[in-house]
Amino acid sequence: MLWYFRGIGKRKIVEFVLLAAFILFFAGPLLNLVVLAFSGQWAYPDLLPNQWSLRWWRFVFQQDDVVQSIGLSFLIASIVTVLSIVICIPAAYAFARLRFPFKRMFLFSFLLTHAFPKMGLYVSIAVLFYKLGLMDTLLGVILIHMINVLMFMTWIPTASFRSVHAAQEESARDVGASPFRVFRSITLPMAMPGILVASIFTFLNSLDEAQGTFLVGMPNYKTMPIIMYSIITDFPSSAGAVFSIILTAPTILLLLLSQRFVSADVMSSGFQVK
Amino acid sequence: MIKGRKEAVLGLIMVSPAFLLLLIIVVLPIVQTFVVSLHSEDGGYDLSRYAFLFTDRLMRMNIVFTLKVTVISSLLVLLVSYAMALFMSFSSGKLVDLIRKTYMIPLFIPGVIATYGLINLLGNHGWLSRMLLPLGIALPRLIFDEKGIVIANLWFNIPFTTMLLTSALAGIPASVIESAKDIGAGRLSVFLRVIFPLSYKTFLVALTFVFMSVIGSFTAPYLLGPNSPQMLGVSMQQVFGIFREQEQAAAMAVFTFLLCSVLGYFYIRSMAKDEAARM
Repeated sequence: MLWYFRGIGKRKIVEFVLLAAFILFFAGPLLNLVVLAFSGQWAYPDLLPNQWSLRWWRFVFQQDDVVQSIGLSFLIASIVTVLSIVICIPAAYAFARLRFPFKRMFLFSFLLTHAFPKMGLYVSIAVLFYKLGLMDTLLGVILIHMINVLMFMTWIPTASFRSVHAAQEESARDVGASPFRVFRSITLPMAMPGILVASIFTFLNSLDEAQGTFLVGMPNYKTMPIIMYSIITDFPSSAGAVFSIILTAPTILLLLLSQRFVSADVMSSGFQVK
Repeated sequence: MIKGRKEAVLGLIMVSPAFLLLLIIVVLPIVQTFVVSLHSEDGGYDLSRYAFLFTDRLMRMNIVFTLKVTVISSLLVLLVSYAMALFMSFSSGKLVDLIRKTYMIPLFIPGVIATYGLINLLGNHGWLSRMLLPLGIALPRLIFDEKGIVIANLWFNIPFTTMLLTSALAGIPASVIESAKDIGAGRLSVFLRVIFPLSYKTFLVALTFVFMSVIGSFTAPYLLGPNSPQMLGVSMQQVFGIFREQEQAAAMAVFTFLLCSVLGYFYIRSMAKDEAARM
């Protein structure tokens, strides 16, 4: 065994250990939850559960507010996604293709959503919502979810529209396609990966949003992450682990489906000029 | 000429819904909060809510604690992320490939879940302490402690920062690095003279994001931080939600804006410059 390691060289071993530590650091907490969710009994200091069981899954699905929160979360996330597509995609197209006054100022104004620390911004919004009577309303919760997504929902599609070569659009025009037809058959399909990534990111972002909802939506709008806050303090850790998996499942599913399109380049175009 | 005007009107119309939304949910609240924070207890206007931040002992402790956690977290995140981004860009191997494929997953994991996982993993009698027990190693107190918050910050921010830096490094042409090597530059000087200067802007953007996300964080410090001192995000929520002191919460919010204002300003300006360069 030892000669094998010596053959690889010290640098390689150090590299291997560091990379493995990196992976374990990120995978550890999630793996722990998976094990917990299927454990029936897990006494200290045993390394693995003494008994495996699905008992906590039944328990979690019997809680009424848990089941309700799942429906509510998906409803809110869908509304937020549709609304932000309707509002942001036209703006993105305009930023990429049209000339209009103050274009740069408009484009950069979206940076404001990321130029303030989140909790401070949420408290500011809560102060305003309190005055407007938007506390504890569906509209209030949806608006607070839109803050996080406004920027990349505009910027990622802007970058995608820009990457469609004008020459392709022009040649379609030359053979007689109407402007709308060009948009539908050339521009939109080519910009689709970026729009898709932005939409999925929006959906997940809304599904996972906890802090703002906690501040603005209490006590009636208990989405999944909010329920999670109380599960963590009130229930045994296995119940929390089960709910964690339920809350993470849509994320994993959507990620697997969109894996082809999600890349560091596309994603980071939502946060900086490239 | 007329075509140009039509285009201008169309552009403005297409942008206006998104811009209006931005005004309502970002600009208006910030202005309003600033005004509210100046309300004094007797109905007039003064800076008493801000003075409280520095005269109250607990509040002062919270501020110092927040700054300390933020600085430590930002440094560690940038260090690890830069190293990781460099490694992924210029190395190969099975493990690196695995990381390249998976490192973005934490970006999509709900913050509450990751925090909960960390509590279970690192807590008293948690999985890690069970694993280390046979080796005779006892873990220090991590959860409900400042270390726990820093660890959670690393978990949340390293993937995002690595993503930004990786995409910046990918923009550096291999030929530039090759030619630097050809004229005899060592690894270190390639990094200092070529790679860093070409990516330092993204480096600063990344710093801005980490700094702000830590100062404005709530979930992790709320669930796994100590009861006192608190991070400002948690303290703000309590002042607003439990003590119902809107004016005080507003002053705290404005204070966190001020803490981040330099970086925020820099971020917007540097983006604007880049955009100007490419338009």
